[in-house]
Amino acid sequence: MGTVLKIAWRSIWRNRRRTLISMSAVGVGLVLVILYTGMLNGMLGEAKEQLDNIGMGHVEITAAGWRAHRGAAEAIESPDALVAALALPPRSEVGWRVTARCLVSSARASQGIELEGVDWTREALLSAPIRDVRSGALPAPGDERGILIGEKLADRLKVKVGSKVRVMAQRADGEIGAELYRVRGIFHALSATVSERRAFVSRTSARTLLGLGDAAHQVVIQLDRAADAEPVAAALRARLGPRVEVLSYGDLLPMLRNMEALSDFVVWIAALFIYGLVGLGILNTMLMSVLERTREFGVLRAIGTRPGRVVAQVLGESFWIATLSGAAGLAAGLALTWYYSEHTLMVIARGEAIEYAGSVLRSGVRTRFSPGSALTAAGLVYVMALVTALYPAWKVAKLPPAQALTRGRV
Amino acid sequence: MPVIEVSGLKKEYVDRGQVTTRALRGVELNVEHGEFMAIAGPSGSGKTTLLNMIGALDSATSGTIRVDGRDISGLSQRELSDLRRDRIGFVFQAYNLVPVLTAAENAEYVMELKGVPARERRRRIAALFERMGIGDLMDTRPLKMSGGQQQRVAVARAIASEPALVLADEPTANLDQATGRALVGLMRELNRERGVTFVFSTHDPMVLEQADRVVRLVDGVVQSDERKTGPGA
Repeated sequence: MGTVLKIAWRSIWRNRRRTLISMSAVGVGLVLVILYTGMLNGMLGEAKEQLDNIGMGHVEITAAGWRAHRGAAEAIESPDALVAALALPPRSEVGWRVTARCLVSSARASQGIELEGVDWTREALLSAPIRDVRSGALPAPGDERGILIGEKLADRLKVKVGSKVRVMAQRADGEIGAELYRVRGIFHALSATVSERRAFVSRTSARTLLGLGDAAHQVVIQLDRAADAEPVAAALRARLGPRVEVLSYGDLLPMLRNMEALSDFVVWIAALFIYGLVGLGILNTMLMSVLERTREFGVLRAIGTRPGRVVAQVLGESFWIATLSGAAGLAAGLALTWYYSEHTLMVIARGEAIEYAGSVLRSGVRTRFSPGSALTAAGLVYVMALVTALYPAWKVAKLPPAQALTRGRV
Repeated sequence: MPVIEVSGLKKEYVDRGQVTTRALRGVELNVEHGEFMAIAGPSGSGKTTLLNMIGALDSATSGTIRVDGRDISGLSQRELSDLRRDRIGFVFQAYNLVPVLTAAENAEYVMELKGVPARERRRRIAALFERMGIGDLMDTRPLKMSGGQQQRVAVARAIASEPALVLADEPTANLDQATGRALVGLMRELNRERGVTFVFSTHDPMVLEQADRVVRLVDGVVQSDERKTGPGA
C-alpha cells in the first residue's frame, strides 16, 4: 500500500494547476457546507435552546384541559409533589407557575396581559426577562404587592418604577378578583409580545388574586439539550397519566418544529448540490488524469499489477486530493464557524430580534460551532471522492493491457 | 519442456464491427529455456501481436499458448497478472518507465509486487544497476535520463525479479546504432550469465545479427525459423 500511495501522491502533482483547482473546488465546497449548516443550526438552535427568551419550557406540564380554556380552576394540585416525583436528565431546571389572563390598568391606560405568579429565584432560571431588569429591581421575597412589567407595557401604561397599577382577573370561583400592585422593576425582553403583554408577581400574590389554594397552572421544564424534549415528554406522559397534559416545545410551537424539519431538508438539498458538484469536479479531474495516462496503467498491468491494485492507485490519488482539500476545507470551515459563533455573520432584520414561529430569533445571525457536524461533512467529502473515483478506476483497470499500451502517453 | 509453446495461434481484430484484420493466422512456435531469439518481419507482420499473446497481454482468437507447460487461455485477469509478475519481464520500444518513480523504484516495482522486502530489493537493484553500468542513476527520474539509459533501466526492471522469460518489443527502435548495439550486447550477457530467455521483435539487422535464432513472420504466419551460429551464438 505504501508504493500505491507514493505513486498516487506523486501523480497528483504532475498537473499541479489542475490538482490545485480541483482541490480548491472540494475545499470551498466543504467550507460552504460547514458554514451553511453552522448558520442554520445557529438560527434554529438558538430559537429552540433559548426558549427562556419567551419564558417557555422545552417541556410543559398542565392540568388536562387547561390549555383549551385557561380557567383559573383548572390547576395542578400539589405541584411540589409532582415536581419531586419527576425523573429529569442532568442539568435540567424546573419550576411551576400560577398563570392568568388579566387586565392591568394604570391611571392613564389599560392592557390585557398574561400574569405569572412565580418563585423569583426559580423563575430566574426559566425566564430570561427576569434576569434582565433594566430599571428598579425584582420584588423582594415576601413583597406581595410588587409587580415586574416589561418595557413596552410600561410605555403603554405610561408608568415607571414606583407607579401603581391595578390588576383584574377571573378567580377560580368565577368571581372577578382585583389587586393593586406597585411597579418594582421594568424588564427588557427580546420578544415584543413578552415585553408588552407579560407581568410577574409572586406566586403567593397570584394565588390570592385568583383564589387558588396550593395549586399551579404550569410546570415548566428547561432541558440542557432541546433535542431531549420529545423523549423526556414521552416518558413523563407515560409516567404521569391522563390527569395532566405533557407537551414538548414542538407540540406547543408546531411551526418551529416544521421549520426545523424544513431547514434539515434544505441543508440536505444544499449539501447534495455541493457534494454533487464536488463529486463532479473530482470525477472530471480523475477521468482526465487517468485517461491521459492509460498507457502508464497498461504498463503497470503488463508487468504484473493486478486490476485491484490499479483501482487502489486511482483511488489513492482521489484519497490524497480529498485529504488535502478536506483538511484545508475542514480547518477553514471550523475557523469560520468558530469566528462567526462569536461575531455576527449577517443581520436578517432591523431591531434586536424578530419573533419567529412563536419563538425569538436575534436579528444578528451567528453560527453554531460544531466540530461533530463539520467532521461529518468532511467524511462525506471523503466518501464522495472515493465513490466518484471508482468509475475512472474501474474503466482503466478493466482495459486489456495490450489495448491500454496503445493509448496516451506514459 | 519449452518455456513457451504456441500452437495454431490466430488473432483477428474486428474494426467497428465490419473489417476483420487477421494479425496472426495460425502460428506454431516453441521457445526453449535460455534462448536468445528474435522475431523478425516487416511492419504489420504480427510481431507485436505475437509478443502480446505470448506475454498474456491480449487474448487469442483461437489456438493455445503454454507458458512453462501451463495453458494460459483459461486464466482470469488476476491469474494472468500473477503469471506476468512471476514469469515474464517486458521491455517496450518506448521504455515505458513510470515517470513519477526513480530508476531504482521502477526496477524494484515488480519485486515489490512479489513481496520481496525493501532492504533485499534495494540490495539486488544496487548490484544489478552496477552490473549494467547505471549505478549512478538509482535516484534519477526517467525524464532526466537519455533514451539509452531509460532502456537500460527498463531491462533492469524486466530481469530484476528473475523471470523465466523477457519479451522485448523492438527495444532498440528508439535508440541510435551505438546505444542499441550496447543494449543488445548487455541483454546477451545477461542471457548468458543468468540463463534468462530473451524473445525480442525487431527488424534491425544489427539485433538480428546478435540473435541465436531468428523467426521470420510474414502476414501473420511463420515463414522461416533459423537457428544459427556466429558472433552472437
